[in-house]
Formats: sequence, structure tokens, C-alpha cells
Amino acid sequence: MNNEALGIFINFLFSIVVYSIPLLYGTVGEIITEKSGSLNLGVEGTMAIGGVAGYIIGCSTNSVTVGILAAMLFGALCGLVFSFLTVTLQANQNVTGLTMTTFGLGVYFFIGNGLASSGKWPIMTEHSAIINSWEAKIPFLSNIPIIGKILFSYNIFVYLAVIIAIVAYLYMKYTKMGLKMRAIGENPAAADSLGVNVIAYKYIHIMLGSAIMGIGGLYMGLNLGGSFEGSTCWINGYGWIAIALVIFAGWNTAYAILGTLVFGFFNTLQVYNTDLAYAFPNVLGWLSKIPPHLFKALPFIITAIVLVAASIRKKKNPNEPSACGINYYREDR
Amino acid sequence: MNKTAANTHSHVKEPLIRIVKRDGLKLSKLVLVYVGAILLAMIIGCILLASMGVNPFKFYEKMLTIGVVGNAFPYKCFEGYIKLFTPLLIVSVALSLAFRMKFWNVGGEGQFIVGALVAGWISAIIGESAPSFLVLILMSLGGAIAAGFYGSIASVLKVKFGTNETLMTLMLNYIALYLIMFFGETKADWNILLNEDSARPIFKTFFENAWMPVIKIGSFSLNISLIIAFVITALIFVYLKKTKQGYELSVVGDSISTANYAGMKTGRIIIRTVFISAFLIGLAGAFYVSTAHSLSTSVTNDVGWTGVIVAWLSKLNTLAIVVTSALISILRYGCTQAAAEFASVDSHFADLLQGIILFSVLACDFLTRFKVIINLKRRKSHE
Repeated sequence: MNNEALGIFINFLFSIVVYSIPLLYGTVGEIITEKSGSLNLGVEGTMAIGGVAGYIIGCSTNSVTVGILAAMLFGALCGLVFSFLTVTLQANQNVTGLTMTTFGLGVYFFIGNGLASSGKWPIMTEHSAIINSWEAKIPFLSNIPIIGKILFSYNIFVYLAVIIAIVAYLYMKYTKMGLKMRAIGENPAAADSLGVNVIAYKYIHIMLGSAIMGIGGLYMGLNLGGSFEGSTCWINGYGWIAIALVIFAGWNTAYAILGTLVFGFFNTLQVYNTDLAYAFPNVLGWLSKIPPHLFKALPFIITAIVLVAASIRKKKNPNEPSACGINYYREDR
Repeated sequence: MNKTAANTHSHVKEPLIRIVKRDGLKLSKLVLVYVGAILLAMIIGCILLASMGVNPFKFYEKMLTIGVVGNAFPYKCFEGYIKLFTPLLIVSVALSLAFRMKFWNVGGEGQFIVGALVAGWISAIIGESAPSFLVLILMSLGGAIAAGFYGSIASVLKVKFGTNETLMTLMLNYIALYLIMFFGETKADWNILLNEDSARPIFKTFFENAWMPVIKIGSFSLNISLIIAFVITALIFVYLKKTKQGYELSVVGDSISTANYAGMKTGRIIIRTVFISAFLIGLAGAFYVSTAHSLSTSVTNDVGWTGVIVAWLSKLNTLAIVVTSALISILRYGCTQAAAEFASVDSHFADLLQGIILFSVLACDFLTRFKVIINLKRRKSHE
């Protein structure tokens, strides 16, 4: 393996992580939501609103931290609307989620177009603090050859996502609150009869999940250099992939890290297929002949296969929350 | 349940607010609720528009009149409106069939694409040589049947293995989307869908034999597919009200176990109905490309998603779907017309308004299904 080929290969591994981490935010957020018994199909819209709000507020205060907090806040607000409609007002979760997606994209383009047409859209490169924190690397460790690049040269969002995923895993598995929340996802009536405040738990976890999705939206925006395109949204379908990933990861936020990388692998392959074919002509030469659309479709094809395989085995994934998608009306018990 | 609880804890107060289910609301009240929801959305929209420095009344005037006023070619607006309305009507009616059985077909996008793609393929093969009526019939049938089978993937899996249909149809949407993008962006000898003269891959314009015929009324051309859409809607209305299959469908929707107990073959009913649903969506896709005279990767215009919203807003009532899809089309088409005039607002403003309207309707829906009892005289109950 010559140096150039090695360089391309390392860049490929690096890009997998950079491109796929927003998915992890969406997926972890959705797992938390589904585990507490709600199917929120509004990931795409929530990420769009969180992203655009976080970006604009972050830029105007010139701080990534404020940006992240704003993205979480606006994400959580979307979650609040969703939980008010589905938990308190018993609205259908599918329809509410789809509406959230439509609404979120509407808000994204409304704000984006309004600011862009009057020249007020913030430009990322003009905000030194944002750029600096975006490009900051872990000192010393990132200088180690190869490993430094693959493991320690990412922006803070990447590490934050992994930490959130692990904390969420520990929270759901080992804490009392996590146990109660999972109980609601399995059987809200039983949890209720044991004295768990079902409504409060649902609100908290839907909002928490949506807040995490919001950070993912901000990441997507920053990763695209904060540029607003009139026709395509930053999120561009990632919210839907995140919903697919939940199933692929088997409702486990720790597996979601791995699942994200698998999905990201295919997603990145469509960008790097010609480079890789060029670097390793003997082994990977065939890559350049595969249409990039297949790589784009693969995450969805794989998820579909996982869905079908799981249902054929008749053995439901024990992690799948049984009451997910069904509203809980106390007097129906 | 409440009584026993009150007995055991004799000092528990009756709650201040109590929520009980009710059977439904009178139609007049329901309409009032919807009008209120639309007004609320319009008012919020007003504030948002004003904050962007756009005169909201001018915007709304343009939107609600779909750009007809002050236009040198007003008939073009009607034609554009019909082009948007026809697929939305068919797709919403079709989706309502599946939703009646609580089969969550959110795969309208994918089924529409498959219908359009197959219709486009057929037109590319026979469009030049065969007579027009034959081309049109084969395109429509081919697209519709292909979409029907595409939709059946989810329903057969659901019936055989219990696979979640919401997630399955969602995945199939994206697979179809990348399929049409593949055909639209891959230049090759076998790809007869593309324009041969262009070096860049673009879909070619259909042969004239594959164009949806129009009836000329002055300078306005009435698209035949609109009439067919109304015929389909009427047929579905009759199908649901008067036929045995329509009856079976509503029983399965109410309760699968009741249907099983009554000896109905529920699996077969689900597969049959979802096939019809997807068949009609594919038909709408075929009609659309035949009207637009070409394929496009954004062929659906989000009609699969909007259709879900329309069907739901209409409570799956076929006649209400006609009204709702006409109104939503005014909103969507009117917005693109108005947005063309105001640079700071784009056509996605329709999404925002649609979102607020639906949120308010979903919220108000609560009042139609539940009764809120506020108990001001909260007495301690000793029974």
C-alpha cells in the first residue's frame, strides 16, 4: 500500500464519521422517544427547526455553546408541541409526526429565505468563535499519525454525540428513571398502576429526544458550512434515515453508534467510490462501476430487510417497545 | 373504577377537570372547528409575513385567488391548479381506503414514483408508433399495476409476518426515490428514458401520443385526467357505501377480531384493499407524467405526504376529501403564485401554513372526541 492510497483510505474512514454523526443524534433522540412509547415521525422537521434556530442564534452570539443550547431548546419545543398533541390531546402520532416534518421544513425555508433575501443570513466564516470551535482538535492526541486522524481529530459534536449515546444507554439500562420510562413504553397502564406519572415521563422523554435531534440539525448545518440553499434543506432525508436506524440498532443507543457507522459507510462510499477505486485498482476497482444511487438506497434496503427478517423470525426484538405508537388514555384501562 | 377508588379513599376530592370520551360532534360544530383552525393559521401567517416585511393582505389576496387577479393569462393559473389538484385528489382518496383499515400506508410517495416511472417507460417504448389511446391506456394500466404490486410488498409482509407497515412503506419510498434518480442521472444506451441529444442526463419529453388529452374551452385546456379523477372518487364512494367489499373493509377497520369472528378472510381483504389503494396512487402518477409530458425526479411534489394529511383532515370521508384537497391545493398552488411576487417568501410557506392548520385541527379534534368537564363545585365524595 503506497502513501497516497493510505491517505485516501484514512480520509475515507475519517469522512464516514464526519458524515454519519448527525444520524446518531437523530437516532438516539428517536430511541429515547420510542422507548417511552411514542413514535415521532417528525425527526426531519425537528432537526430542521433545531438546526436553523441553533445556527442563527449561535452565529449572532458568536458561540457554539449557545448554538447547541438554542438547537436543543427549539428541538425541545417541537417535542413539546408533539407531546401536547399526542399525550394530552390524544392526537394520532403518525399524523402529528408527519405534520411536524412538513411544518419544520416550512419554518426552515421561511426563516432561511427571509434572511437570505435581505442579505441577513449569517455567514459561518465571519464568526471566528464558531469556526474555531468547529475546527478545534484534541491537542497532542490528534498529532499521532493515522490513529490521531481516525480517532482524535473530529470536532466536538462528534464526541458529544458518542457521549450522549453512551449516557443514554446507561440511563435506560441502569437507572430507576430509565426503567420506569421503559416500562411506559412496554405497558403504560401497568406502569401507571404502579404509580409512575406516565404523562410527565412521556413529556420529558419526548422533549429530551427532540432536543437531541435538534443538535443533530445544527451539526448538519455547520458541516455544510452554514450555507442556505433555496431548494434543499440541510437535513435532506437524514431524519428519515435516523428512524430507519432505530430499527437497525434494535432500540439500543450503544448499538446505534455502530449502526450509524455502518449506514455512514454506505453513504460515504458514494462520495469516495471513485477515489477508492483509483487507490486500490485491483481490489476495489469495481466500486466505480456501481451507481451512487445504490449506495444511497442501501441504508433503506438494509433496514427493510432487517424489518422483514425480524418479523419472519416471529421473535420480536425484545428491545422493541410494545406500546410504541399507541396513545395512552387512562380511562381505557 | 372511579367509584371503587372513591370508596377506598373517602377523602379524595373529585378532580377539577375531568375528560370523558364522546361519540362525535355535530357537523355544524365540526365545520366551525375547522374554520377556526384555518383562521388561526392565517393569523399566525399574517404576523410571520409582516415580520418579513411582506404585506400579508396582498400576499393572501394573491394566494387565495391563485394568482388569477391581474394576470394576463388567467387560464394558465387554472391549468396549473388542476395539475396539482388532480393527483392530490386521487392519492388522498386512495390513501383513505388503506387508512380505513388502520393500515398506515405512508408509502404514497414511492407508489406514485413507481407508477410514474413505469408509465414513462411504456411511453418511451411504444409512444412513437402506437395510436394515442392505446399508449395512454397501457401507460395508465402499467403504472397503476406496478404501483399496486409495489404497495403489496408491505401489505403481504404485514399479513404474513406482521411486519410494521408504517416503517416498511417509509423505506420503500426512499428506495423508489433513488430508483427514479438512478434512471434520471445515468447516461447509458439502455436508458431510453433520457434525452439522447443532451450530453447531460435529462429526462426526455414524451412523444405526443403519450400526452394526456385536453378539452379546449376557449384558450383554457381542461385536462381529461381531472374528469377521470372525479369519476374515480365517485366510484370509490359507491364502493365504500354500497358494495360487500366496502362493507368488509369497514368491519376490518373497526376490529380485526370481529371480522375474523364473522368469518371474513381479513388477510385477503387487507391485501386486496392495499392493492387498490396503491393501484390508484400509481394511476395518479401515470396521469401526472402524461400531463406534464415528462418524468422528473421531483415528480411527486410531496403528494404522498400531503395526501396523508388531506385524508386525515377529511376524517377519511370521501366527499370531504374532495373539498379538503381542493382547499389544500389552493393553499399550495396559491403560495407558489404569491411567492413568485414576493422575493423574501418562498413556496414552502405553504408547508408552514399547512402545518399550523393541521396542528390546530389535531388540537381541536380533541374537543370532538372528548368532553371536558370542569367541576367547580369540588366536593369531597363520601359515597
